[in-house]
Amino acid sequence: MSGGVLLQAVLSGLADGSVIALVAVGFTLVWSLTRVLALAHGDLVVAAALTGVLVVVGRTPVDISLDPVRSVAVVVVAVAAGVALSVLAYAVTVRPFLDRSQRAEDLLGWVAGGVTAGLVVRTALGLALPAAAYAVPDPFHLDALTSSGSLGLPGGGSLQVRVFPVLGVALVVAAAADVFITRSRLGRSMRAVADDVDAAALCGIPLERTVVAAFALAGLLAAVAGLLHAPAQSIAVDDGALLGISGAAAAVLGRLGSPRGAVAGGLVLGVAQQLLALDSHLGPGWAAALAPAVLVAVLAVRPGGLRAGRQVAVE
Amino acid sequence: MTSFAQDLYLLLAAYGLALPVSYAGLPVLSQGAFVAVGAFGTALLAAHGAPLGVAVLAATALAGVAGYVVGFAATRLAGASLALATWGLAWLAYVVLTKFPAVSGGSQGLLRPTPARLVSPSLGVVLTMQPWLHVVAAGVLCVVAALAVRRAAAGPWGLDWAALRTSPVLADSLGVPVQRRRRALLSAGAAIGALAGAGTGVLVGVVAPADYSPLLSLQLFVAVLVGGTATWWGPAIGVALLAALPSASDGVASAAGIDPLRAQGVLTAVLLIAALALRGPVGRRVPAVFERFLSARRSVVGLPSAPDVVPTHPAGVVLALTDVHVRYGAVQALDGVQLELRAGEVHALVGPNGSGKSTALRVAAGVVAPDSGDVRIRGAVAPVAGNAAPRVQAGVVRTLQRTAMLGELTAATQVAIGVRATEQDVAGQGWRHLFGTPLARRLERRRSGRALAALTRVGLSARSDVPAVSLDSAEQRLLQIARATATGATALLLDEPAAGMSQPQRVRLGEVLRSLARAGHGVLLVEHDMALVGRVADRVTVLAEGRVLASGAPDDVRADPEVQRAYLGDVTDPRHRREEQAPA
Repeated sequence: MSGGVLLQAVLSGLADGSVIALVAVGFTLVWSLTRVLALAHGDLVVAAALTGVLVVVGRTPVDISLDPVRSVAVVVVAVAAGVALSVLAYAVTVRPFLDRSQRAEDLLGWVAGGVTAGLVVRTALGLALPAAAYAVPDPFHLDALTSSGSLGLPGGGSLQVRVFPVLGVALVVAAAADVFITRSRLGRSMRAVADDVDAAALCGIPLERTVVAAFALAGLLAAVAGLLHAPAQSIAVDDGALLGISGAAAAVLGRLGSPRGAVAGGLVLGVAQQLLALDSHLGPGWAAALAPAVLVAVLAVRPGGLRAGRQVAVE
Repeated sequence: MTSFAQDLYLLLAAYGLALPVSYAGLPVLSQGAFVAVGAFGTALLAAHGAPLGVAVLAATALAGVAGYVVGFAATRLAGASLALATWGLAWLAYVVLTKFPAVSGGSQGLLRPTPARLVSPSLGVVLTMQPWLHVVAAGVLCVVAALAVRRAAAGPWGLDWAALRTSPVLADSLGVPVQRRRRALLSAGAAIGALAGAGTGVLVGVVAPADYSPLLSLQLFVAVLVGGTATWWGPAIGVALLAALPSASDGVASAAGIDPLRAQGVLTAVLLIAALALRGPVGRRVPAVFERFLSARRSVVGLPSAPDVVPTHPAGVVLALTDVHVRYGAVQALDGVQLELRAGEVHALVGPNGSGKSTALRVAAGVVAPDSGDVRIRGAVAPVAGNAAPRVQAGVVRTLQRTAMLGELTAATQVAIGVRATEQDVAGQGWRHLFGTPLARRLERRRSGRALAALTRVGLSARSDVPAVSLDSAEQRLLQIARATATGATALLLDEPAAGMSQPQRVRLGEVLRSLARAGHGVLLVEHDMALVGRVADRVTVLAEGRVLASGAPDDVRADPEVQRAYLGDVTDPRHRREEQAPA
């Protein structure tokens, strides 16, 4: 294996991983505020991006070059769709099963609600976009950095040039989200709610509004992830569920509830997938199985992982 | 005929999944994966020359083992993480099936050898599996599964299941082997799912990955939820709706001019939402009727003379803590505590907030392991701390501060869960009940007798058929005590049993505590109400900052100047002053 090929795998992996990281941050944010798993989160990623394309380009999207106005329109519609779907998913499939006043939750209810929401999103989208997979235009024009869209690497191997801006944009967005959570008033409210719901409520933090804001932020991150991910390859309506599994695996890998851990987990997972795909004995099958395997293995081996750093009293 | 047999196999898989979901309250999203283990396992083994019957049994056993392994993770995972882990498992199975053609035969799937024959050389029987034979086999399996589950739920296992799905913590505190029950239910559910998968595979003749996607897990999960918690008919309704899907979606597809597969997705989604909305009303009403039916039947059986669960002990030490140290981070919660509880006495443990009372109680109950020191139960070294269940077997049980944790169950059922801890003398009770042996019926009579005795002791016998939520807060406290005594424990650890009680209720509680001591129990009482302590306690131990300040008869302890200074003197809460002045 040449150094160039290895370098290509690592760089592509980092780009993939940064997209997974954005999904994972949303997932982890939702968990820490509501103790609910966003089981439909991955479907939102694909749904947001495809909605943007669907509205602006039409029902038969092709990989055309978008003019600046339509590029902006795709981004705006996709982000709006991501935010709206995330808040809607909360209102319809999560909120009814939480009863904060009695401190009881309907576990089976929100688990079923979450997976159902994912199915509904996939199905609705599938009605509008019946083909198996679509090549969609890139509103960010990330391939236009070089004329061919790819870059030769020293030592052989070539790389899609878009991995650099994808990595850059994703990390900048993740960092901005981190700054927002740690510095802004609303972000601090979110952390207070995540830390202790009752104490936050006693301090006069509007609980419901804060939780809705967190879901909106998660939806926004999902939309950006979708816009970065979708143009890299042809995308299918059903791809979202596995992307959600990858995001969950990354979040668990970085300790659920920690946004920075989620970013790290996403990058590690992305690179590991690419390296596995590179190995001639193992191949792409193992790369695809990695995320769900990591999810299951981490939860089984480190059961306290979900709640590590926050001991919940038994009574 | 073929599609009807297929639906019956689907129902069988749903009954399997109902065990962990409805009865243990575990969110298991991976039943489709277990079904796939059965289907592909059978096909692979048959392709490698194994006789069909052997292949089916081997694949089923394999899934059972897989379920048991998942059970080990489930014993340590909180509910939400189990949902995530099993959802991951469902996808892992699907990815493996789609990406590894060696396992699954690729998108074409695997073919079973034709014709499908069950051969038994020793009996000289050769059975060719026609579709009608599948209908018979699947139908019989479904009926057996439904009846067995329903019967088991009405017996000793059902009591354990009711406790652990309502509150695992409380179930543990009453001696229910929570982890063992969960593993058993997961394992049995997975094996039944695999059996259904094997049957489907043999019936259809080809197993392809697309039929075993996570959507199957999801459909089965919601089918089980339709009937709400713990019903034997819920899965049947859910699967009947699922079975109607393909033909209904074909109709919708041709009417709306869309892809039939997508139409099926739309209808599944609609069904799921409807099931979620319906399961509350449907699920609430029927179990209530069921519960009434059960308790009615119990009283028809006729109660034998209630035996006293507690053998009267000679006045010996039933529980002893020696030089116990516990540290939480920077806080030394217990700093060399000595404590002795004798049979037939009420021993009050008092002290200011944060003095270590509750920690001492938890060490005694085995839910907190001491950093150093010695805990002995009737002279023998106490079982390792962690789960409470072994302590309950050894005769030590505690009540929890929180009440109202077993809401919908009647008082009699709740106390019967406690009685289960006394039933270790007969092995295989769940099985005996399943087959209705005479011994099981005698045990059931003994159980209801003991439950009634425990309720009578706290004065709640007239309320035995009332759901716990309908009891007032004082009655709920008394029910907790009845539940604890029903375990046959010699040492009762009561954590603030008077909290939220009015003065007359406290008087009644005091009488109950005295009568428990008379019956031979050792009662360790953590309590703030000094008037109550003065009335009922034979001995008082005062804790302050993790140390024993004084121990002895109530009057002596009150007179101790050091106690007055540390505990009663400089307490700013005016409540304590009032209680101190109250006549003892």
